[in-house]
Amino acid sequence: MTTVETPPIIDLAAASAAASPQRVIVQRTRKRNFGTWVRGGGVSNLVFLLPMLVIFGAFSWYPIVQALVMSFQKTNLVTPAIFVGWDNFARVLHDPNLYVAIQNTGYFALLALIFGYPVPLVAAVLMSEVRRGKGLFSALAYLPVVVPPVVAVLLWKFFYDGRPEGVFNTILGWVGIPPQPWIQNAIEAMPSLVLEATWAAAGGTVIIYLAALTSVPPELYDAAEVDGASIWQKIWHVTLPQLRGVLIITLILQIIGTSQVFLEPFLFTGGGPANATITILLLIYRYAFQNSLGGNYGAATALSVMLALFLAALSLIYFQLTKRWSS
Amino acid sequence: MTIPKILPRAGRRRGAKVVDANERSIISASDWRRRGTRGTFTVLNGVLLLVLVVFGLGPILWLAKSAITPTQDTLQSPMALFPHGVDWGIIVTAWTEVHIDVQFVNTIWVALGSWIVQIIVATTAGYALSVLKPRYAGILNGLVLATLFVPAVVLLVPLYLVIIHPPLIQTSLINTFWAVWLPAGANAFNILLVKRFFDNLPREVFEAARTEGAGPFRLFWSIVLPMSRPILGVISVFAIIAAYKDYLWPLLVLRDPSVQPLSVRLPTLQKAIELDVYLAALAIATIIPIVFFLVFQRAFLKSAGLGGAIKG
Amino acid sequence: MKSRSKALIAGIAAIGVIASLAACSTPAAGDGKVTITVVSLIPGSDQSAFDAFDAQVAQFEKANPNITVKSQEYEWTGPTFAAQLAGGTLPDVFTIPFTDGKTLIENGQLADITDLVNGLDYSSKFNPNVLSQAQGTDGKIYGLPTAAYGNGLQYNRAIFTAAGLDPDKPPTTWAEVRADAKIIADKTGLTGFAQMAASNTGGWQLAVGSATRGGRLEVKNGDSVTVTADNAGTKATLEYLKALRWEDNSMGANFLLDWGTINQAFGAGQIGMYTSGSDIFTNLVQSQAMDPANYGLASLPLEGKDAGVLAGGTIATVNIKATDAVKAAAVKWIDFYYMQKLLNKDAAILDAKTLSEANQPVGVPALPIFDKATLTQSQEWIKDYINVPQNQVSFFLDNIFDQPTVAEPISHTQELYAALDVVVQSVLTDPNADIDALLKQVNTDVQALVDAG
Repeated sequence: MTTVETPPIIDLAAASAAASPQRVIVQRTRKRNFGTWVRGGGVSNLVFLLPMLVIFGAFSWYPIVQALVMSFQKTNLVTPAIFVGWDNFARVLHDPNLYVAIQNTGYFALLALIFGYPVPLVAAVLMSEVRRGKGLFSALAYLPVVVPPVVAVLLWKFFYDGRPEGVFNTILGWVGIPPQPWIQNAIEAMPSLVLEATWAAAGGTVIIYLAALTSVPPELYDAAEVDGASIWQKIWHVTLPQLRGVLIITLILQIIGTSQVFLEPFLFTGGGPANATITILLLIYRYAFQNSLGGNYGAATALSVMLALFLAALSLIYFQLTKRWSS
Repeated sequence: MTIPKILPRAGRRRGAKVVDANERSIISASDWRRRGTRGTFTVLNGVLLLVLVVFGLGPILWLAKSAITPTQDTLQSPMALFPHGVDWGIIVTAWTEVHIDVQFVNTIWVALGSWIVQIIVATTAGYALSVLKPRYAGILNGLVLATLFVPAVVLLVPLYLVIIHPPLIQTSLINTFWAVWLPAGANAFNILLVKRFFDNLPREVFEAARTEGAGPFRLFWSIVLPMSRPILGVISVFAIIAAYKDYLWPLLVLRDPSVQPLSVRLPTLQKAIELDVYLAALAIATIIPIVFFLVFQRAFLKSAGLGGAIKG
Repeated sequence: MKSRSKALIAGIAAIGVIASLAACSTPAAGDGKVTITVVSLIPGSDQSAFDAFDAQVAQFEKANPNITVKSQEYEWTGPTFAAQLAGGTLPDVFTIPFTDGKTLIENGQLADITDLVNGLDYSSKFNPNVLSQAQGTDGKIYGLPTAAYGNGLQYNRAIFTAAGLDPDKPPTTWAEVRADAKIIADKTGLTGFAQMAASNTGGWQLAVGSATRGGRLEVKNGDSVTVTADNAGTKATLEYLKALRWEDNSMGANFLLDWGTINQAFGAGQIGMYTSGSDIFTNLVQSQAMDPANYGLASLPLEGKDAGVLAGGTIATVNIKATDAVKAAAVKWIDFYYMQKLLNKDAAILDAKTLSEANQPVGVPALPIFDKATLTQSQEWIKDYINVPQNQVSFFLDNIFDQPTVAEPISHTQELYAALDVVVQSVLTDPNADIDALLKQVNTDVQALVDAG
């Protein structure tokens, strides 16, 4: 930590920094020697960070850097890779399926936002008002989360069977609605996937909201009642504002998650019918594994890099925009 | 050392009974006494219960039904109740043919190890980033969050290469549980949750402990960890369920059937075994986490101090 | 193309194959001991089948004391293949479908075993069209074909009877197929004729339909490949599907079927007819619990000039990262385990005996790897063990050897199939699908990939 001391006067940046007291402190701390670093807790900081640094370093950051490098390479995964500059990116951007996939992913995210986002919130608020058997309600809500995805998809394939004898179509038949094609139709396929995805994920979010609801200070409700607030007014002026921190986090996590939707289109429709449900992640999977058999990993990594950059930018903007409301 | 009175809300959950008595929600006792309100909410509760039963329990009941229905009946009329009777033998076949016992033990090992690794990484990292706060904490935090943006599917091959040639250790981890346990620790969501929870712990407690001479290790072990039981409960359930459900990664690194968990083994067998037996095996495999969840549900939901973790 | 797994089941052990035959094949692997990893059977196979496989391994090791064989169960998936390829952890011997052979060779992902194959005494006996599936454009050999099949018209005899059709008179023209499909749909409410459409099988079966009408999806001129997806045969096939779907409504309600799900629906008695490989009987009776008495297989109708039957099969290949000694041992194993039962009487009989004792089908209709005489001879050897009802597949066997066979498209096969999936799905789910425009788009998109290399 001992660094060569730069005379501040000849350094313009340092000179301007000298005007700010904070920067001066930074300058000073840089001068600390090893002994003060240890006494200041440097060693114990490192000890506590070590598990994360090792695990993330080896199993997350390093593979991500590898993938980043591969996005500029052509590789058959056998012989040494060749650097090809921006070729992979160009190839991906020239793929007509990319724009279909972006549209579909956006559509999925939008539908999931409109239908999937409020459902757990409404359910959680209702459940928090249940007087008896709260445990039963939350257990029922959480059950779908516990079902392994392989099981869930198999079940829902039976439910979405397009024949009149299909599970959902049988149920529709009971109330006189004609059989629907569900995932067999370009228009109905995506909403069907959103329905299943909402079913599979809502339970987890419900549990998070339920927990957050219990942390709303009761005094706030008491105060609102003193002002003569109705139930709706209490929800609007007390509950929702108190949940905003959670809501802001779950919203961005949901957007990040739905932008990476893969399992549903992969296992239900394979992107069909007629590309109606092909998503960005499905396209990445096809580049990497399905169509070129490992011969086009570069394109898969290139598209992943572009997606990651987009999501990072989106998140930054989002947190900037929501900063004001979240504190 | 005296325990300060100011504890986070989440911490209060430990005295569960007392808290319950004080607990109130949006609808007050006086609201509840009004006839219209009570009627509306009773109806709403009924509707909610019905929806939850249909969507939460319905699919699982259907699976249970199919586990004892011959293949042809399930395919020809999926909604009919036992048109040609019940066949309990299917369950027996599934249990013996699929070796669920072996795979179940593997599943427990996989879940247990992943859980321990995740808890260690998340608590130490959360503590360092939130409480110790070295100058570079912000950068590290950003690097952790950045991993959320990278789709996991594209990391399969690079990560697989790490598992074959792990740093420092010279031996491949393929077909060992370490190949699943260690990567499971690299979970940004966990660190996000724990850090936010620690951020909301009252600083006064730490200051008090420090003035009484507690070092960073003592502070972690005796103060922070005991206070974070709620968030550890949440992470534990998420970790165990995720480990139970994971398919693609364990499929890659656990090639030997004798170490494969249920989530890998069952889909692998799908092509080789008959549909009714497969559905029965799936039913058995689904009952296990449900029982686990129901057993631990009380502890989990009571201690779910997640509100403290992600509030604000 | 998805028959990769069945070829493995079909390859179950013959105990006590004559060691001398195996030993005379290749020169010795050099000095020192060699360990090779080979794939065994698909996960979930019977224990008796695994036992038989192990017995075969022991036999091989006895004949080749320098070679140790380790086996692992095997099922091909994209991610596991790519990861193991990159990690160098692929088995030394593994099998792939014909469909993927050309792409893997083009990618440079398979080991060149030309010299080792030429050392086998039967290397000149291969049917050149079949061997070419394992050859690169340079003529080098990257694997040994171990099984071949032709596509056929699969039909359910019970449904034919229920619809008032004669199961012993399967349709012989596409017009008859359409008429029968309509009758089945009208009389029974079941699916008359189904078509695979997902996971790249839509493109694969479109290639089948196209070939029966004289169409080819790719044409090779010298070194360059031209994508000809919009050929007349393909268009006629799609128009045909459109008519069955939208005029007759005889194609049921599920249009995202692939190899596995169409077999499941057929095995459950929901589909009257569909086209697929002649080797699917194994899957139908073992995984779908289909009653063998209901199974019927007929040859595909061929119409017009250049009409032929699309063929497929399995290639046994060697890990590209294997050392020369391992490669030599690997080819010895392929010879011993996959090839001898096609060529040697005792090996063939023991293989059939083991299969039938494990309740596995024997006598599934196949195409010759060598010549027809060799195939007929081997069927003759095992006739006591044949348990596939031959009179129900005779409508296939009586014609298939007179029908010209057609190979799958050779360049960017899976990408072409994936693009054609979209066309098949469009025709089946959208009454206004513009076939010409869709095919033109496929031409443009896939040609760009081909030209990019």
